[in-house]
Amino acid sequence: MMLLFFREIAQDNNLRLLLIMGLLHNAFTLFLSLLVEAMPFLLLGVIVSSSLLLLVDERKLIAKIPNNPFLGALFGSCAGFLFPVCECGNVPVARRLLLKGVSPGVAIAFLLAAPTINPVVIWSTWVAFGEQPQIVILRVIFSLVIATIIGLIFSIQKNPKPLLQRTLAKRFNLLSNTQANQSQNNGELTPVLLQSGTFLLGTSGQPQRMEGLLSETSSAIVTFPNKNKFQSFLNNVVLELRELGSMLIMGSAIAASIQVFVPREFVLSLSHDTVTSIIAMMILAAIVSICSTVDSFFALSFAATFTNSSLLAFLIFGPTIDIKAIGLMASVFKPKIIIYIFAIVAQLTFLLTLIYSYFS
Amino acid sequence: MNNQQRFHPIDTIAIALITFLSFIIGFLIWNSNSCSSNCWFEVQPQVKEFSWQNKQISSEDKAFLMTFNRPMDRDSVEQNLAIEPPLPGKFSWAGNKLAYTLEIPAPYGETYRVFLQEARQKFVGQEELGEEVEPFFSQFKTRDRAFAYIGSEGEERGRLILYNWTRQQKTILTPENLIVFNFEPYPQGDRILFSAADKSSGIDAIRMLQLYTVATGFNNNDREPTQQVEDTSLSNSEPKLILDNKKYQNNKFDLSQDGKTIVVQRLNRKKPQDFGLWIINNDNSIKPLKNSTGGDFLVTPDSKALAVAEGEGIALFPLQPEAQPLDFLPKFGRVVSFSSDGRAAAMVNYNTDNPDLKYTRSLFYVNNQGLQKELLNLEGSIIDCQFNPTATNLYCLLSELKQGDEYREQPYIAAIDLKTNKTTPLLALPEYQDSRISIAPDGLGVLFDQVLTSDKISNTNIPINDSGATIVTSRLWLLIPPSEKSSSHQVEQLPFIGFNPQWIP
Repeated sequence: MMLLFFREIAQDNNLRLLLIMGLLHNAFTLFLSLLVEAMPFLLLGVIVSSSLLLLVDERKLIAKIPNNPFLGALFGSCAGFLFPVCECGNVPVARRLLLKGVSPGVAIAFLLAAPTINPVVIWSTWVAFGEQPQIVILRVIFSLVIATIIGLIFSIQKNPKPLLQRTLAKRFNLLSNTQANQSQNNGELTPVLLQSGTFLLGTSGQPQRMEGLLSETSSAIVTFPNKNKFQSFLNNVVLELRELGSMLIMGSAIAASIQVFVPREFVLSLSHDTVTSIIAMMILAAIVSICSTVDSFFALSFAATFTNSSLLAFLIFGPTIDIKAIGLMASVFKPKIIIYIFAIVAQLTFLLTLIYSYFS
Repeated sequence: MNNQQRFHPIDTIAIALITFLSFIIGFLIWNSNSCSSNCWFEVQPQVKEFSWQNKQISSEDKAFLMTFNRPMDRDSVEQNLAIEPPLPGKFSWAGNKLAYTLEIPAPYGETYRVFLQEARQKFVGQEELGEEVEPFFSQFKTRDRAFAYIGSEGEERGRLILYNWTRQQKTILTPENLIVFNFEPYPQGDRILFSAADKSSGIDAIRMLQLYTVATGFNNNDREPTQQVEDTSLSNSEPKLILDNKKYQNNKFDLSQDGKTIVVQRLNRKKPQDFGLWIINNDNSIKPLKNSTGGDFLVTPDSKALAVAEGEGIALFPLQPEAQPLDFLPKFGRVVSFSSDGRAAAMVNYNTDNPDLKYTRSLFYVNNQGLQKELLNLEGSIIDCQFNPTATNLYCLLSELKQGDEYREQPYIAAIDLKTNKTTPLLALPEYQDSRISIAPDGLGVLFDQVLTSDKISNTNIPINDSGATIVTSRLWLLIPPSEKSSSHQVEQLPFIGFNPQWIP
């Protein structure tokens, strides 16, 4: 009798073990697929960021950005056309823009809009929803409106330091001081190139990048010999990829775990009416963390069962906020700033798509 | 760290905005939930688009689409969609789109009303159905039922006549000076292609044929039903010359199903060896195909190839000059007809390779799945066959060889059930004639003629039939297949004197 009892317990344990192994296997598959999908875009973003570091003169860049907060935010929202990166690639570029001294409003507008307002994503949405052009058009317009509003709000904060994550804020501080010191020394405004990396205080009291690449030139663009220039580009790519790649891995692991333990069917079953179907699709967008270049095809599979407004909510909310990218954002912003962005984007997405549901 | 350091302008404005947006969202949700009917903040599920809305359709239109603005409960839509008069069909769904495919073509000359109410919205996570659809009503119309024929008496003699069955209206389409020999309506029904010669050509008329088109007054699908009345005036328009007879003699022609290509068999008047098929494109440019000497031919229903009787088989050529044959079917000697959907064909095997069946002809059903089945074998002739609109039956004009001292064929019309292969003779005709049958695009019935011919030829005795005999007089008949009203075939004589009747598609 006892033997039978223990056998049953053992069988029960074996089943549990099998179930857990199955879940872990699913989580690992999802984790790898998220990572494989996002890594090339992160690499692209890091390459764009490194190119900005070495090739773009921040004075000229800032001079080209409109001073008016609204126009600045709008400019930031549309900048995705210049740097067509996905929601993983936009983080390094936005971070670079902030370090280059671009207004936080412009950088955040870019961060939120670039994954949607770019030619690749608009084209893929058109391919998927060509029969319903209003979805393609409204995706672009609503994303633009949301990014511009949030950009406008953040343009109030002139000093980006309070927004930035502690390490980045320190780096920003250090670089700002360097810039100020150099200006004092040269008697004119000649900002030093702002770049990421590890800095050392040199003999002259000036910070020097550990990699020894920060020249003492007064020019805005560092005039390296070609070989050094390429070397510094590579160094920066490796540095940023290491830094942001680790955040992406963490974000992907969390997103994969949530997807396994909170099944997609559970999220979809939350849809009981127009309002809840919008919320369900927004939650789904955040959880699945699918890249904006392909998310419209994923959304298309729900076209038969979900309202157009909830599909639109998925297409707007997904590229701006997802669990996988929150890790990346945490490497740039303070947690409370991420909460503000998350809350306002979610509210605006919900509000705009709910209003759209009244007319569709 | 003091409060000022902790609290930045961005905190103030972000919290204020979040609070403000929360209020607005709360208000909208409260409003939606508290409102029961006619709410400003609520849109009911509705039909956003109906593809046949106020349109005029023909047998080419096989399905309509209904697009909803919300995901719908499919069962409730299918149960509550009503069409009056009823049109049987099948439902299929793609997302929020419903497709209703008609099982048989909608009868012509009718106005159909479509209603939908009490269908409900469906949400994924809820068993209970959502809101009711906004009541929907629309209507569409089918084209007027009409046919054309060549008159054989009085001022109609040799002229192309259009009879609008729905409006009981007869129109002479061609001028008095032209004698029409053959014609083929365009698939869109808006024009008729015909071959005709000037009356003054006399007995040489058959060698002086030119190709013309003439408008019927029936127009494209996008017109609203109310505009149809005005269109009949168009039928008075002058024929337009498509191909002259100066250098070449024009014989047989065929029109592609898309109405864009005409194939003509031509003979050079000065060099008789210059004989073959020519192709006339939509822009009226004419080119010799140069790939076939041109036996009996038919353009395939996809409008891309030509089936030509060549030697002891049928060659399939692309509709391009000097192209190589696509295929060769040695078993068959003639393509009689294609089904309108292009999936099947009726072909004749002359049994030349089988001594037991010598001097007999076999009718075969061939489809695009590779099926070849013999439908019948007879000693007489297979004059013409046509598929019914749903391609379930084949109506044929056949002839039976009568035993006796002299060779005599007894023509008759038969229906062949393509599922059971059963041939049912329907009607015996008095004497052999070069006749053709025409099946109504909406399945109403089969039109055929009964012609009285004479061997005496004079200038005034035209028109003549394909055998060269002069048509003295002729009658038009309608064979109505079994329906709900009658279990057997009905034959009805039509009050027209003419021959070669053909339904307008």
